[in-house]
Amino acid sequence: MRTRDYKQTYRELVALTDSVPVWLWSAILIAALIIAPHILNAYTLSFLTIILITVVGVLGLNILTGYTGLISLGHVGFLVTGAYAYAVLVSKYQMPPIVGFLGAGVIPALASLIVGAPSLRLKGLYLAITTLAFSFIINTVILEARTVTNGARGIAVKRPELFGISFESEAAFTYLCLGFAVLTLFATLNIRRSRVGRAFVAIRDNDIAARVMGINLHTYKLLAFVTSAFITGIAGALYGIYLSFVSVEGFPFLLSIEALAILIVGGLGSALGAVLGTVFIVLLPEATRLVFSLFSTQMDALFSTGAQELKSMLYGVVIILFLRFQPRGLVGLWHDVKRTWVHWPLRY
Amino acid sequence: MQYLVQLLISGLAIGAIYGLIAMGFALIYKSTGLVNFAQGEMTMIVAYIAWSISTSVDGNPFIVAIGAIIAAVALGLVVERVVMRPMLGEPVFATVMVTIGLAVILRSSINFIWDAYPHDLDIGFGRGILRAGGIGIRTGQIAVIATLLALLAAIWAFFRYSKFGVAMRAVAADDRTALLMGISAPRVHAAAWAASSVIAGIAGVFFAISYDLSPAMFQLGLKAFPATILGGLDAVLGSGVGGLLIGITENLAGGYLGSGMKEVAGFLMIIVVLMVRPFGIFGERDIERV
Repeated sequence: MRTRDYKQTYRELVALTDSVPVWLWSAILIAALIIAPHILNAYTLSFLTIILITVVGVLGLNILTGYTGLISLGHVGFLVTGAYAYAVLVSKYQMPPIVGFLGAGVIPALASLIVGAPSLRLKGLYLAITTLAFSFIINTVILEARTVTNGARGIAVKRPELFGISFESEAAFTYLCLGFAVLTLFATLNIRRSRVGRAFVAIRDNDIAARVMGINLHTYKLLAFVTSAFITGIAGALYGIYLSFVSVEGFPFLLSIEALAILIVGGLGSALGAVLGTVFIVLLPEATRLVFSLFSTQMDALFSTGAQELKSMLYGVVIILFLRFQPRGLVGLWHDVKRTWVHWPLRY
Repeated sequence: MQYLVQLLISGLAIGAIYGLIAMGFALIYKSTGLVNFAQGEMTMIVAYIAWSISTSVDGNPFIVAIGAIIAAVALGLVVERVVMRPMLGEPVFATVMVTIGLAVILRSSINFIWDAYPHDLDIGFGRGILRAGGIGIRTGQIAVIATLLALLAAIWAFFRYSKFGVAMRAVAADDRTALLMGISAPRVHAAAWAASSVIAGIAGVFFAISYDLSPAMFQLGLKAFPATILGGLDAVLGSGVGGLLIGITENLAGGYLGSGMKEVAGFLMIIVVLMVRPFGIFGERDIERV
């Protein structure tokens, strides 16, 4: 039986993981993801791409809401800013895509400073409402600034070519998303175990205590906003490229809710949870459709007519059920299963 | 001048609708300490139910009104009992997220129960136009402003004089002490949800009479947010007044600065209010002790 882990040095405590099997399984997962685009058909591949893009965005929100405990209902605002930044720089001003991606990160990060500033005085619900207001304001700004953004007509975006490699094909684009997802995952994991990440978590758990410990609330809250907006903006750019067309309608308010649903379902404040939650939520409508189509063709017809409504309804139901019965999310479930597996037949 | 007066009057009318919904927000916040993000959706559902009733009874206003109120009470009670009561004692974040989940469910249920097309709610009143010195006012707009004022007075009296109103204030001030005094907090919560649903429903029906009924109506809830923030989340009467202010601001911004400004005027106002006076004009300052 495995006893508890005894950490003796600080380095061991903050290590990414101390377990060889975890590295092994991660390597196998990465290898599988590298092979996958060659095996999967176009339909399944689109799910994989969506999952990878969503993982990037959700990890961005996770830094703000999961780690720092600042609820954002307006993250779609950063998403759409990122997408437009990329589209305007690359499609309109013919900049190289790498500059586009940089801009897709930096411009939302700057925008987040504007939202972040009032957040220094606000907490909880009030902050959530401010971010909500921000996401509506940004939409109007985009629609009004016609000379830069083409207003309601939107901007068409081509698949990029980076470092001489073309990401034109579906498989190649999936690799690009995979690259960004893995990078983001490592980035957030590293942020979490660094001084900054620990400061974020301290602010979430008790901001007054954190302040007493010498954490500058203003700096770190703004830092959380900037980091989160940067990552979310990149996800927005990827999503814009995936849609091959950037417009305000392409980024509905529901995306903010979806991101929060993913965090709750996965387990708030955990990178693993963000990944599990994404896979669960993205595949949920499809899985439900498959299950129902087994029973009757009538249900299948319902799914094709009211697909969008049914999808959002499922999100709602899943959010409520998870909050009610499994507030720690899929990660909590996973930990319970692991503990039972290790300690069985003992309970603890 | 005429243009200004016209803008002010239509601003007051739409502001009265925002004010009603904002009062619904504040009622729930005051008694349960959470923001109900499904307020706009509840507004919409009640309006749709009223429309269904009106089409089956040939638009008799009294039957529609009574039916809508009963439906609103039932909706509020069911939501409180089935969705919110089990979350009692959970962190605020979790409960608020539950209301967001509820909002999403209610919003998409419209398309399953009714349909995605706009409708007219016609109960034989509210469409006529009164003219006074070149300024036209629809009777429905006058009715909604009058209703808001009447409700403001009624709610003030309710909180001031009735036993149950005092009990609600007690729960809002300190729920543990209220429990010790023999007040049933769940019953107060249920009453708050039912009342809030009725007020929201009234707003929805008036909106549907004056404008139209469509699945995009839930956005009224988002538009009413600025009103309740301006008035103070815990100030029921203040939220009603805040609604009027937001309605006027929005219309003036729309009339003089362009339609884009109309959409965001309220939201810009939220940010300013939250930065300057986060507890609103009429709200109570929240003092945190270490």
